[in-house]
Amino acid sequence: MKTKIEKLGWQLLRNLILASGLILILFPLYLVIINSMKSLEEAGKNFFALPSGLYFNNFVELFTNSDYWIFLRNSAKITLISITLIIIIVPSVSYSIARNFKNKYYKSVYYYLLMGLFIPSQVIMLPITKMMTKLNLLNHMGLIILYASFSITQGVFLFVNYIRGLPYEIEESAHIDGCNVWQTYTRIVLPLVKPMLSTLLIMDVLWIWNDFMLPLLILNRSKAIWTLPLFQYNFKTEYSFNYTMAFTAYLLAMLPMIIIYCMGQKYIIKGLTAGAVKG
Amino acid sequence: MNSKNRKSKLGSAQLTYFAFTIVPVTLYTFFYVISVIKGLGYSFTDWDGMASKYNFVGFRNYKLLLKNPYFWNSMKTTVLYTVMLVFCVITISLILAISLNSLKRFKTFIKSIYFVPAMIGGVTIALIWDQLFYRAVPLIGQRLGIEWLSQSVLMTGKTALPAVVFVHSWQAVALPTVIFIAGLQQIPDEQYEAAQIDGASIFERFRYITFPYLLPTITVNLVLIIKQGFTSFDFPFALTGGGPVRSTEVIGILIYNDAFKNLKFASANAEAFLLFIVVALFSLTQLKITSKGAIDS
Repeated sequence: MKTKIEKLGWQLLRNLILASGLILILFPLYLVIINSMKSLEEAGKNFFALPSGLYFNNFVELFTNSDYWIFLRNSAKITLISITLIIIIVPSVSYSIARNFKNKYYKSVYYYLLMGLFIPSQVIMLPITKMMTKLNLLNHMGLIILYASFSITQGVFLFVNYIRGLPYEIEESAHIDGCNVWQTYTRIVLPLVKPMLSTLLIMDVLWIWNDFMLPLLILNRSKAIWTLPLFQYNFKTEYSFNYTMAFTAYLLAMLPMIIIYCMGQKYIIKGLTAGAVKG
Repeated sequence: MNSKNRKSKLGSAQLTYFAFTIVPVTLYTFFYVISVIKGLGYSFTDWDGMASKYNFVGFRNYKLLLKNPYFWNSMKTTVLYTVMLVFCVITISLILAISLNSLKRFKTFIKSIYFVPAMIGGVTIALIWDQLFYRAVPLIGQRLGIEWLSQSVLMTGKTALPAVVFVHSWQAVALPTVIFIAGLQQIPDEQYEAAQIDGASIFERFRYITFPYLLPTITVNLVLIIKQGFTSFDFPFALTGGGPVRSTEVIGILIYNDAFKNLKFASANAEAFLLFIVVALFSLTQLKITSKGAIDS
């Protein structure tokens, strides 16, 4: 009897907790969506109510009069090229290290690359800005190089442990059959590390797409090369009076990632969890 | 002949392995290691970040910083920020994980909604809440008759820091919740059943079964959140920029402002390195604790 009451009470409490959590997450998003579809006047009258009619002026205005498409393209370009570089660099160097761990050179490369785990981003942020200015790299190429360089530490950490956990026999028989290292790597190892590749892909795409600090340091000077997060931040100062328009901009900025999330949420949750637990 | 062939094959294998390391080591050395060393170098100069010439001044920046009240205020704010963040995120995500894990229906669906904030960038979230704190929350505060909520919480020194931590937590809870759920799923059901037969209450079951099983997971989440707290930048930058009256000026903001707004570039580098020492010491202790835990289990 006692346990039954306890159980009912727990279920009630649990549902209450989950419901209030859902409200706390969904209500702000709801406010963003409904207010993006209101004129300033209407939002001023009632911030919380549904829009009285279909009003898409904010969207039309953003699509036609602002450089939203340019910023979207910039973000997409930077994310795509950086992630391609990362996928090329990180697994291959990790493979070298993992399969030559007894060799002094590879072992020191491993610990050398891992040093980055101890260095907070604030230490890098000032000297890197000066360095990129001097190299004339305050542009997309500079930013892409930085993403590739800064992703190495965590990627190698994840991959080396993963590859060392794989059985060596398959590669050995490939060697005996006459595969060289490059063939073994592309035909045998890469398919085997697919789960880790998707983890790396998801973690780094999210990081690069949403990153604010590096674009702020590297790209803030000229508007044509801004990414979406920079655009949103600068929108605050430029259009602070027109907040329904700002909501529209925020909505459009988060939409691409939310769409991708809807398509592959299972893999995304899994990938991010694996990355956090093992890294 | 045969051995020579094998030797050249081995040589080419070594060459391929070596080639794989060239690009990453070069990139990392040039853009990471050298920039850290350069930053350390700047911290011993009097450079304002603009002038073409600067002088070596030894430890002067460090000595001045240790006497600088703004620096200590920032350190204090950072630690407070991190403590609040850790407390909020760990408690909330643990409660959510336990609640979600005991759900029978819609579990995956509700979990996936709880994970949505992890998809949105910190700046977007900060800017949305900035608007809400300004336009929506005061309305709710007035309706409920709560005085401190009736104005923008970001405008008053007392409430600004908790408000920034709140927004950060709004996003940061997602990942630890899922990690906790993964941890909870490793607890065998028999344990609970046996405890139930023995008449253990809900709290006893949590204390003696759930908690010990979750310890490694708690460590993982702690490391994750503490790191986020110490290096927080996006949220305070987009929400308050460090204000009002430096009440949310965490170390990341202080470094940015000193370097790019207050023309104290060299001193900002020194601030960064003092933070580095704190973070490195913390990471080392953490590493010791976790490796000890691994031996125990």
